[in-house]
Amino acid sequence: MSPNVRNRLRDLIPVLLFAVALWFLPDLLRSWSGRASVSYLSLVTNGLGLAVLALSWDILARTGQLSLAHAAFYGAGAYVTAILARLEVGPLWLGIPAAGAFAVLLALGLGVVTLRLKGIYFAIATLAFTEVLRSAVRQLPTSFAGGSAGMNVAPLFRPAFDPETMERWEIAFLRNEGYFLLYAGLLLLTIGLSLWTRRSRLRPAFTAVRTNEEVAGVMGVHPARMKLLAFALSSLSVGMLGAIHAHRVGSVIPEGAFAVSTTVFALVTPIFGGLYTTLGPILGAGVLAGIEETLKRNLADGYLIGYGLVLVLSILFMPRGIVGMVRGIARRRRAARAGVTSEGGEA
Amino acid sequence: MTADAKPDASPVLEVRSLVKRFGGLAAVDDLSFHVRTGEIFAIIGPNGAGKTTTLNLLSGLLIPTAGRIHLSGREIQHLPSFERTHLGLGRAFQVVQPFPEMTVRENVQVGALFGTPGIDRAEGDRRTDAALERTGLTRIAGQSAEELTLLQEKRLEIARALATDPTVLMLDEVMAGLRPGEARQAVELVRDVRESGVTIVFIEHVMPVVRDLADRVLVMDHGRFLAEGSYTEVTADPAVIEAYLGRDDDGTGDEDPDRDDREDPR
Repeated sequence: MSPNVRNRLRDLIPVLLFAVALWFLPDLLRSWSGRASVSYLSLVTNGLGLAVLALSWDILARTGQLSLAHAAFYGAGAYVTAILARLEVGPLWLGIPAAGAFAVLLALGLGVVTLRLKGIYFAIATLAFTEVLRSAVRQLPTSFAGGSAGMNVAPLFRPAFDPETMERWEIAFLRNEGYFLLYAGLLLLTIGLSLWTRRSRLRPAFTAVRTNEEVAGVMGVHPARMKLLAFALSSLSVGMLGAIHAHRVGSVIPEGAFAVSTTVFALVTPIFGGLYTTLGPILGAGVLAGIEETLKRNLADGYLIGYGLVLVLSILFMPRGIVGMVRGIARRRRAARAGVTSEGGEA
Repeated sequence: MTADAKPDASPVLEVRSLVKRFGGLAAVDDLSFHVRTGEIFAIIGPNGAGKTTTLNLLSGLLIPTAGRIHLSGREIQHLPSFERTHLGLGRAFQVVQPFPEMTVRENVQVGALFGTPGIDRAEGDRRTDAALERTGLTRIAGQSAEELTLLQEKRLEIARALATDPTVLMLDEVMAGLRPGEARQAVELVRDVRESGVTIVFIEHVMPVVRDLADRVLVMDHGRFLAEGSYTEVTADPAVIEAYLGRDDDGTGDEDPDRDDREDPR
């Protein structure tokens, strides 16, 4: 077996296990907790959404582009599917790939404009882009996009109630299960895109562009192409996420769809979990979603303060995120074992 | 390939009336020279003569104010760096700048996978291994590029540039800061690269290295052409002696290869 095949299997097996676990999760929840599974499923779906947000943001960050435009793609996706649904062009589900495609186009446009911007200037430009998009959507004709009041979005799933075989709550369960599976599928797609950039030659290219764009160019890497590719991959998932979310909650308003908090979660989660990895953002999403829910239940009003405290402490004590911390511990252990014999000059 | 190693009359790199101005100051001023296929060509001059600026103009990190650069007959002065690399212009930097988050091997891989367009992964891996082998880095290929000695960093700089499969390789003060023994190894490496048919353009302060390596030497001063010829010819040129000795600045006729040049601002 060639090393390439072995590497691919090493990726494929955990992803497959994760996919199988997600597939069986709704039924397991139902048989364990009955009616309460409706809200559990909804919580897990939120966690999956956070993972998509975080992982897609991380893909872009791998090229050194610390974007504050994630809410823009998210909101644009939500509005694309809402408008298509209102115009009744084609089936409802078509809005999701259309949202992804539209987000990619927006991202390429923004990417071209911001190519030469670095660091804080890039961040401010992407933030401004989000604000401009939100204002623009608010200014669109009310009959077309609902104005500042927003508009309703038809649900994707309408399970039929059969009084013979079902209880009332099972309708909600089936609906939540549908969205859960969509979110899970979108996360798997994002994982696929992420692994592609980590296992192909894009990995050294992205890292080179991030650490030293000039030298990357002299090594033959096309920096602009890499940055735009990362933008496109990153926005595809977020655009679709925004669209599915709009169907799930049943409405879109400019303030919600383009909320700054979406951008904040998109960047905080991978930093918490471990930047530039596939596992880090997913792990970060799982842990943060869990912490948030626990705090919400126990602190009711003050939960955001507790949440903020957790984030501050984690940045202070594990600046490289969960994945970075675990790797650091593993490396120190190995060094300790090997270091007994050698004199190891470097700390 | 010894037949190719001997300088041949045709120019592989041609620079015509190159100018680079920063504000009012001309860092490179009406500079013309050419490099012949297969030769080792040195660019020397006092500090601030515009040598590194010239290399930056050649590799596309700076765009010239005026003038032309031809590589193998093609005009390249308007092309971005990566396209010049694809056309066969390789570069090792003076201030070594490896990608710190990658291993030695991954650093070289960037050059191997992207230096030539349309290369497949297997061929890229072969080139990576060849460049590592040639520069004596195979043993530490898995090490992080952050924890290298200066000599290893310099070797990595050359390995990366070699991996892009250049026809012209530009080296910016690769001997600076090396101990005499290390500098000798580096000289051997450069000779060996030339033997394989690569044309070499290098900037150097360490004069014995210039004497040992260069087929021809270009002397720059204040961004301008001062002299050109063999090492013996240019060092006998009164204008060159004047430029080096007539003013009070360092980096002059540096006979001590042990000196650490790393702090040099240029």
